[in-house]
Amino acid sequence: MKIVVAYKWAPNPQDAVVATTGEVDLSRAKPAVSEYDPVAFELARRLADATGGEVVGLTVGGPSIDTPLSRKAALSRGLDRLVVVADAELEDADGTRIATVLAAAVRAIGDVDLVLAGDSSIDVAQGQVPLTLAGVLGWLGLAAVSAVTAADGGLVVERSLPGGTTVVAVPTPAVLAATADAVVPRVAGMKDILGAAKKPVEVLDLAALDVPAPGATLATLATAKPAGGERTATIFDGSSPAGAAAQLVGALRQAGAL
Amino acid sequence: MTAEATEPDFDVIVVGAGPAGSVTAYLLAQQGHSVVLIERGEAPGAKNLSGGVLYGRVLDEVFPGFAEEAPVERRITRHVTTFLTGDSSVSVDYAGRPLAEPVNAVTVLRAKFDAWLAERAEEAGVFLMPGVRVDELLREEGPAGPQVVGVRAGDDELRARVVVAADGVNSFLARSAGLRSKPPEHHLAVGVKAVISLPRTVIEDRFAVTGDEGAAHAIVGDCTLGIGGGGFLYTNTDSLSVGVVLRLDDLLKHGRTAAEVFDHYLAHPVLAPYLRGGEMVEYGSHLVAEGGLEMLGSVVTGGMVVVGEAAGLTINSGLTVRGMDLAIGSAVAAARGIGEAIAADDVTATGLSAYRRHLDDSFVVKDLRTYERAPSFLERDRMYGAYGELAAGIFHDVFAMDGTPRKHLVTVAREAFKRSPLRLRDVISDGWAGVRAL
Ligand SMILES: Cc1cc2nc3c(=O)[nH]c(=O)nc-3n(C[C@H](O)[C@H](O)[C@H](O)COP(=O)(O)OP(=O)(O)OC[C@H]3O[C@@H](n4cnc5c(N)ncnc54)[C@H](O)[C@@H]3O)c2cc1C
Repeated sequence: MKIVVAYKWAPNPQDAVVATTGEVDLSRAKPAVSEYDPVAFELARRLADATGGEVVGLTVGGPSIDTPLSRKAALSRGLDRLVVVADAELEDADGTRIATVLAAAVRAIGDVDLVLAGDSSIDVAQGQVPLTLAGVLGWLGLAAVSAVTAADGGLVVERSLPGGTTVVAVPTPAVLAATADAVVPRVAGMKDILGAAKKPVEVLDLAALDVPAPGATLATLATAKPAGGERTATIFDGSSPAGAAAQLVGALRQAGAL
Repeated sequence: MTAEATEPDFDVIVVGAGPAGSVTAYLLAQQGHSVVLIERGEAPGAKNLSGGVLYGRVLDEVFPGFAEEAPVERRITRHVTTFLTGDSSVSVDYAGRPLAEPVNAVTVLRAKFDAWLAERAEEAGVFLMPGVRVDELLREEGPAGPQVVGVRAGDDELRARVVVAADGVNSFLARSAGLRSKPPEHHLAVGVKAVISLPRTVIEDRFAVTGDEGAAHAIVGDCTLGIGGGGFLYTNTDSLSVGVVLRLDDLLKHGRTAAEVFDHYLAHPVLAPYLRGGEMVEYGSHLVAEGGLEMLGSVVTGGMVVVGEAAGLTINSGLTVRGMDLAIGSAVAAARGIGEAIAADDVTATGLSAYRRHLDDSFVVKDLRTYERAPSFLERDRMYGAYGELAAGIFHDVFAMDGTPRKHLVTVAREAFKRSPLRLRDVISDGWAGVRAL
């Protein structure tokens, strides 16, 4: 089975600066593999190991996504090889454009059975790229995937949805977006990082890919913080820990949280 | 053990991508050695407390003209030293263009600056390995005694001919190689530091600097609530680095927390106007080794050398904290020494002692000698309270026009001195110690 993992080189949320207004500033954050994408790497590796397949990493974006550091960061996490489309034209590309470029790259890679991705990126967090990609490819696309195994001629996929979980049989080719907690991804060790430097990297030229011209561009008219999050700011008397715990449990019950 | 397992993976393993580690790695790669640079942070600089004044002379030797290319914030052209009491301050302000050309001191933000240094190393062929914390040294019995042969991180081992411990003030590697015991508390200080963002024009107006010029303020006295140490305030391009460095033993003795002292410092009427309206974008706390030459332990053992703050290389003169330039100076000496040891095919403690010789000949140890007595000088409590009171008292009497007849300055000084708890004997002793130490 040939599996492509689509991932994003995105700001590391550990470096985020939260202003007193509640706004999150990622402009000074150092880049890293987007927070939830290593889950997709891990799912792909396990599936490939179980079926004797290959895992190809795929990322698209501006020129800064292709550095020795970014290559090693991805390749040390269970990929066999890497395909990169880095072009100044993609610097601030929106999700639709990214998805069309990913689709063209998936076609260029060829004979792909499955594309895995994280649910959403850490910075944009709109969660639309994987399913737009599926649409552009004309493949089946499923989000909220919490487990995937190989079965005769296809995949068995578990999905975590608000109403509960479902297990479905999925024919390939398909695009799956994994939940952030589907598996615990591996931490790259020294040998993984050394090995990463020896793995092949292919740089695809955007101009040579068959990508439709970008459609409409978005203009942001207004932004606002999410409503809610009202705090009751209740302080419990902590002189007796057991008493404070009992009060807390009582308050949580009353609020319907327990 | 198989032959393959004992074959070194690299000529040199450098642990820690701070200034000491990145420069050592860079220079060794330039000599043609295979070098891996291991850093526990996800990216170099990520874990390092930001902000500081870099005395740039030595880095300019490694990267000529670095100030033009590296992410430096401002060139320091103005040094202000201030003695504070609860409600007054006395400052000495030295501003001079000669300080800017050639570059004497620049401010840097470590998240950017460390990343830049590590990139230079990577360009020179160093294998950069971020996100890996070294857990252990690999040691074996060699013909010349115990020899460090590599490192372990998690389940993986890497072997090299030489390991460079550049892992900073708490150097776990130097301690586990038996090169240092845990330093006594009076050789340690705790630094609390914040970065406060302000528009660049506001900074230029408040500090009376223009363009890429900047100011460095050193502050002693009431700002530390009488605890041994001092405060600093440095200008970056569009932020200020502000902090205190406190002697750990004195902090414990006063029963204060470093955060308390820091809050007092930020709110001090002499400091607050500089910071007004700024937003704190970063806050951190870190140990500083401030024992000068006394802290410089043994820097060489079989298969391993120690550089930078891991070797105790800092100078805290009370007016300036220096560590980055000494770290870089030790890196230059280490790269030379290691290169010679590898060329002579002797990486035992004897072969690597070439590093110690180069270090002794460099400005690093010479400056440590010059400031040898600074730490014990700065342990004198009077430095942090009574002198500020005395100076403020003198200037108060000079400038306060309260209707009483003016007195000659000497009389003013004598009277202020009488009110002060300081005794002449102490002042002479401190003066002498200060002259010798600084
Ligand atoms: C509050 C404060 C103010 C200061 N102000 C100044 C100043 O104005 N000017 C100045 O020159 N100096 C200043 N210093 C001192 C200066 O910060 C240090 O001397 C300098 O950073 C030492 O550089 P280094 O490369 O030896 O160590 P570090 O910069 O500490 O780098 C060590 C690196 O090793 C990594 N590391 C540690 N352990 C491991 C491990 N086990 N595995 C992998 N990686 C590891 C760390 O993550 C870190 O990146 C100040 C220090 C403090 C605390």
